[in-house]
Amino acid sequence: MSEAYVRETTLVTDDSDYFERVLDGTVGLSLVSFVVGIAALADVIALGATGSELGRPLLTLAVAAVGGVGVVAICDRLGLVSITSQRATNAATGVVVSLLALTALAFAAEMTLARLFGITLLVQAVAVVSAGAASRFDVADTTPDPSAGLLAGLAFGAIGLIFGAAIGGSLVGFDSTLLAGVPTWVVVTLASGVGMTVVTVLPREDIGSTLPAALIVGALGVTVTTAAVGVGWQWNPETIDGGFTGGVVVPLFVLFGSMVAGWAASKARAGFGARGRQLGAFYVVNVNAALIVTVMITIVVFVAVKGIGYAFHGFAIGALSGLVVLAPLFVLALQWARGPAGTARWNSTVRQLVRVTPLAAVGALAAVLLGVLATGRTLDYPFTYTVQVNREPVVLDTSLAITPALEIGNLLLIISGGFLAVYFLRKYGTLRNVGNKSDRLVTVRRLVPRAIGGLLLAGVIIAILGRSPAGIPLSETVGSGLVLAGALAAVAFTVSPLAAVGFGDGTRRERAEQAARVVSVSLFSALGLLTTAVLLESLSGANPSLGPVNIVPVLALVATAAAGCFALICALTLRKTDDANLRRILRNEGTLGLAAASGFVALFGLHIALTQAAYIAGPVRIGLTGSLSWPMALEAYKPLGPQPGGIWPAVVGTIWLVTGASAFAVPLGVGAAIFLTEYAEQGRATALVEIATNALWSTPSVVFGLFGAAFILPRLGGDESLLAGMLVLGFMLLPLVLITSREAIKSVPDEYRDASAALGVSRWETIRSVVLPAAMPGVVTGVILGVGRIAGETAPLILVLGSTLNSTRAIDVIGGFRFLNQPPFIINDALTQASAALPTQVWAVISAGVSGSPSMGWASAFLLLTVVLGFYAVGIVTRTYFRRKLNYE
Amino acid sequence: MSNAVDTERDTDTELTEAPSGKRTTGESDETVEEAWTDYRFDGDAKLDVENLDVWYGDEHALKDVSMEIPEESVTALIGPSGCGKSTYLRCLNRMNDRIKSARVEGSVKLDDTEIYDPNANLVELRKRVGMVFQSPNPFPKSIRENVSYGPRKHGDIEKGLLARLFGRDDTEEEYDLVEQSLKQAALWEEVSDRLEDNALGLSGGQQQRLCIARCLAVGPEVILMDEPASALDPIATSKIEDLVEDLAEDYTVVIVTHNMQQAARISDQTAVFLTGGELVEYDDTDKIFENPESQRVEDYITGKFG
Repeated sequence: MSEAYVRETTLVTDDSDYFERVLDGTVGLSLVSFVVGIAALADVIALGATGSELGRPLLTLAVAAVGGVGVVAICDRLGLVSITSQRATNAATGVVVSLLALTALAFAAEMTLARLFGITLLVQAVAVVSAGAASRFDVADTTPDPSAGLLAGLAFGAIGLIFGAAIGGSLVGFDSTLLAGVPTWVVVTLASGVGMTVVTVLPREDIGSTLPAALIVGALGVTVTTAAVGVGWQWNPETIDGGFTGGVVVPLFVLFGSMVAGWAASKARAGFGARGRQLGAFYVVNVNAALIVTVMITIVVFVAVKGIGYAFHGFAIGALSGLVVLAPLFVLALQWARGPAGTARWNSTVRQLVRVTPLAAVGALAAVLLGVLATGRTLDYPFTYTVQVNREPVVLDTSLAITPALEIGNLLLIISGGFLAVYFLRKYGTLRNVGNKSDRLVTVRRLVPRAIGGLLLAGVIIAILGRSPAGIPLSETVGSGLVLAGALAAVAFTVSPLAAVGFGDGTRRERAEQAARVVSVSLFSALGLLTTAVLLESLSGANPSLGPVNIVPVLALVATAAAGCFALICALTLRKTDDANLRRILRNEGTLGLAAASGFVALFGLHIALTQAAYIAGPVRIGLTGSLSWPMALEAYKPLGPQPGGIWPAVVGTIWLVTGASAFAVPLGVGAAIFLTEYAEQGRATALVEIATNALWSTPSVVFGLFGAAFILPRLGGDESLLAGMLVLGFMLLPLVLITSREAIKSVPDEYRDASAALGVSRWETIRSVVLPAAMPGVVTGVILGVGRIAGETAPLILVLGSTLNSTRAIDVIGGFRFLNQPPFIINDALTQASAALPTQVWAVISAGVSGSPSMGWASAFLLLTVVLGFYAVGIVTRTYFRRKLNYE
Repeated sequence: MSNAVDTERDTDTELTEAPSGKRTTGESDETVEEAWTDYRFDGDAKLDVENLDVWYGDEHALKDVSMEIPEESVTALIGPSGCGKSTYLRCLNRMNDRIKSARVEGSVKLDDTEIYDPNANLVELRKRVGMVFQSPNPFPKSIRENVSYGPRKHGDIEKGLLARLFGRDDTEEEYDLVEQSLKQAALWEEVSDRLEDNALGLSGGQQQRLCIARCLAVGPEVILMDEPASALDPIATSKIEDLVEDLAEDYTVVIVTHNMQQAARISDQTAVFLTGGELVEYDDTDKIFENPESQRVEDYITGKFG
């Protein structure tokens, strides 16, 4: 037993001593060289840079480090945050000091970055070996084990072998031989490997883990400092193609050396022994994790930097459209900000800031948009992007702009209004069991659905008979009359709760309470009736108007205003109310009013989409085309224009591919999962299906593509087609949906099934109403992640979809449907045509070489990456949402 | 200690001798006498169980149990763990059908109708014989949906767009049913203002009463309860006990319990199962707890065994 075991250690150290400070500083230095090494590897800082070329980026880093550490330090002194870790403090100091020293060296001495790296490595080696010596000679207070252990010995031995071969070989040459014809470099290699192992295993742990580390780091440092391997260095072995250059090897040396030095320094810092091993492992594991994150961020940032300019060329949005887009964001930000108010988690300044920031950002954007509207001047940010014209790069000017255009696209209204309506309906509880029951309400509840059904029936009849059968103007008379009646009834239903709350006997609070029943019936009836009226309008082609003014949109606006007023009154009354029950009723009434208002807005948009007629109110124009311009995503390629256009056909193609594949694979996959989990006996057959599923999941995508090209294409007419792409991607999606759904269904507790069976409910009903809803989070997450994967799948699409570079026309699936009076009655030409898709677009640009525009390829890649990461983000959000909903968190 | 050893040895003997049909077990080699389980009462039997045997694979879990359960009363089933009382309970609404390895022989009659008839309608049976489980198991749905789940799935309550279009909307009926069931289960006061909240947000005791309400909403005649209070704290337990006593005025309740005080407090008659899946004694609760015929039952009740 070594004397280390006899020594007493202190439980709490008040302050770190010099030994510990120096070692923490070394860890900081190794972190700095690691980060700069990555920067050099990524060519952010050139390895041969000297003087101010090198000094400036280093100075930037140093300033950033001083700023970051300084702010935290000041906050610590002021008591705002509490930094209690001595190690963190010391390492941060080390980072700042090393960066400042490196910057000073870069400016003062005319050294290259490579040489600077070498010096850094040497300093680390010296620090590490000094720490080992200090511990061995009992200068420092440590608790080392008798040996560094066999594992460390073998690891260092292996490194020693490599070093021996490289250094020994290059010093004595690979040709010289010793006695008996044994090559010298083999002897040196073996000696070095064995020597390293011995040096690691035999001495006490403090020497055993610092000396070999210092030898390795020192050797690397000497190699780099003396420029034996430096900026211009190159090695092209004859036995392999290609070679190694200093630009890659030196940063790799630095990364490896600083990681070894950081590990040894961390170990020494904790006084060796069990704590030392823990801290050393902690360092290495964390640096590794950081490396993975770095890789991911690098890819995203790299693609974004290359592609973002092209992707957003000519992007412009009208201020009014911007406000419409902001409305749902505002509601979401508001909910985020309101979230934990009143709970203990709320009592932290930082958390409050985090909660409020999105709301503030939305407010700031809204203010900017309003400013543009008020001044009537375009706000733009000019930048340039390059395109390839006749194999020559051409720089084009463009800008991001917010224009004061008073136009809104109907699609924006539908999306924003629809989202808000669904959001508020989900927030809306119920207004049942309040207020008084009356016969009139029962009548309304019975009559309104029949009225809706009747209106729809009338629309279908007119659509079948034609607009004026036998000369009778059916659509102009009956159709218009019915549409008008439906819309008027909707407005009447919307106004009635407003009247009930606004006027009548008693105080407003009493009226609000009494109106509760009327509210839900009225507003839901109004939404239903207006929806029917808009649909009927499209079915019958009726378009009731008063002179030049269309009546339906005007009525929809009136209804929106009425519902909005109603919500406002409820909110105002709510402020003066203390009674909990009444507050709940008022809140529900207000939410329903907001839901109705947003629903009416969405219906307004739907009306314009269905009648194809813009609505103009004074300066504001609401039409089929809005003021959002985004050439890259929303326009097709323009072969001869001054501007290159975009990849709209590819976007449409990807949307249809994903839709088709999901429509095909999700029901099949979930159905199979239900059968396997709920019905099939567990046994050989299910095991076989499981193996088959996993094998299908592991099948390379290009094999799916081959299968599609050889099997599906000949059966679909022989040409590359959208339908074949959908089927192949569906095959790929199938196993993932099956696997995840199965796991999700399996994880639904048996108690639910028992409880349902004990109520006499059949197995299928149980699955439908209890098991599947409970398994929904897993199923949905699986589907979304799978869709994210197939959205970016390239190889099979090249084989079955066709790869079209710069297509000028988007595939029109909805318009491609044609009805026949003979089998198969319905065909779709669009589905059997080749189409573009985002991944094949990227591939086509790459394979087309210089004739395609590389920056267009990067922009497509950027959009593709955004789409796939977007699916991933949606998957995470959905899972969280469903989990909360199910577990009642 | 010696008792336990004896029991174990005797159980072994009994397992080997079982095919001969000789019923000897227990520390005193006591034979179950026909008279101990031949309980007679005034009025009709709601459930009439005759010669019921259950096997799980090769394990003989319930041995030749015969027992008549009277209408509108509380019958408690007590006994040590693994004695087959839960198995017996699950036989009464054929929940054992859901266990693949289970095999049931014998006869169970509900109002003189054989429920093990091959043509028996399981939906109807389970509507008439409801069940409440050991741990509260409400669905992850709203309180209202939990209660109206059974009737909706049976088509007794119709809701939704189609039902509305054809004027068959039973929303009012649903609310009346939910209110009535929750009132019966003594939960209405606590949840009437949050019927749309998720049922998993209720406390354990409330969840169990919700499960009882869910069972009542289907309109059962018999309610089987498998240790309904074992996962609950004393206050929630006493609420469930009061509820069981109230329910016995309209329903036939069969309740499995580990808690002998509970059985003594709430039941009208008690059946004692002992190790090996045998019904040892069945009589009025007072008689069982004050003056049992069997020595083993007396030992079990006084805590010397089990």
